[in-house]
Amino acid sequence: MATDAQAALSAALDRLWTQFLPQMQERVEILETAAQAFAAGPLPIERQQEAQAAAHKLAGVLGTFGLTRGTELARELEIVYSRQIEPGSDLAERLASASAELRTIVATRK
Amino acid sequence: MTYRILIIDDEDDIREVAALSLETVANWQVFTANSGSQGLARAIEHQPDAILLDVMMPGMDGPTTFRELRKNPVTAHIPVLLLTAKVQSSDQRRFADLGVEAILFKPFDPLTLSDQIASVLGWS
Repeated sequence: MATDAQAALSAALDRLWTQFLPQMQERVEILETAAQAFAAGPLPIERQQEAQAAAHKLAGVLGTFGLTRGTELARELEIVYSRQIEPGSDLAERLASASAELRTIVATRK
Repeated sequence: MTYRILIIDDEDDIREVAALSLETVANWQVFTANSGSQGLARAIEHQPDAILLDVMMPGMDGPTTFRELRKNPVTAHIPVLLLTAKVQSSDQRRFADLGVEAILFKPFDPLTLSDQIASVLGWS
């Protein structure tokens, strides 16, 4: 592909990243608040489904911007939230740490 | 050759990146729709050379939209490529059984998405 097209694509992707950043941050926030709620007790099914959907969308988009680690983490969370989950300290900690790492990835785009 | 592609996806970020990629890298003409029902209408209106169709959409999902496209003689001939973030093999088998041209996965590389589509469809 011509360098000109690569540069144009890169610039346009930067513009789209800025445009959709609030939406991605909102999805991360859903995951963070779900992790916090899960640490305190069982998650209502609607909340779990909301977290699953947020993780699914992040998994699809982050890698498209080159953030493959973000896609891995979001996919991990999507799988967890797709199952019946029982409160437990290990899982609660994992949900919280994965969500926090996602926040950093989205904030830094790295 | 300038191909004409219809992207049907309810997620605006994915839809915009895919459209941008195909327009910028391959210089294709891109139409978009944010739902299955809007996609059916756009397919009839624009008669694209191929359709990139998201699987998980509220309302009419990807497989249902695909079946509706195939039922309509005006759109039945248009090649359809499913776009999904589902990576489990059971999902892939279910999608392949629909009879689509190919299954492409999210996340995709915006630099190579048009090459992937062209390769599947035998476009040089």
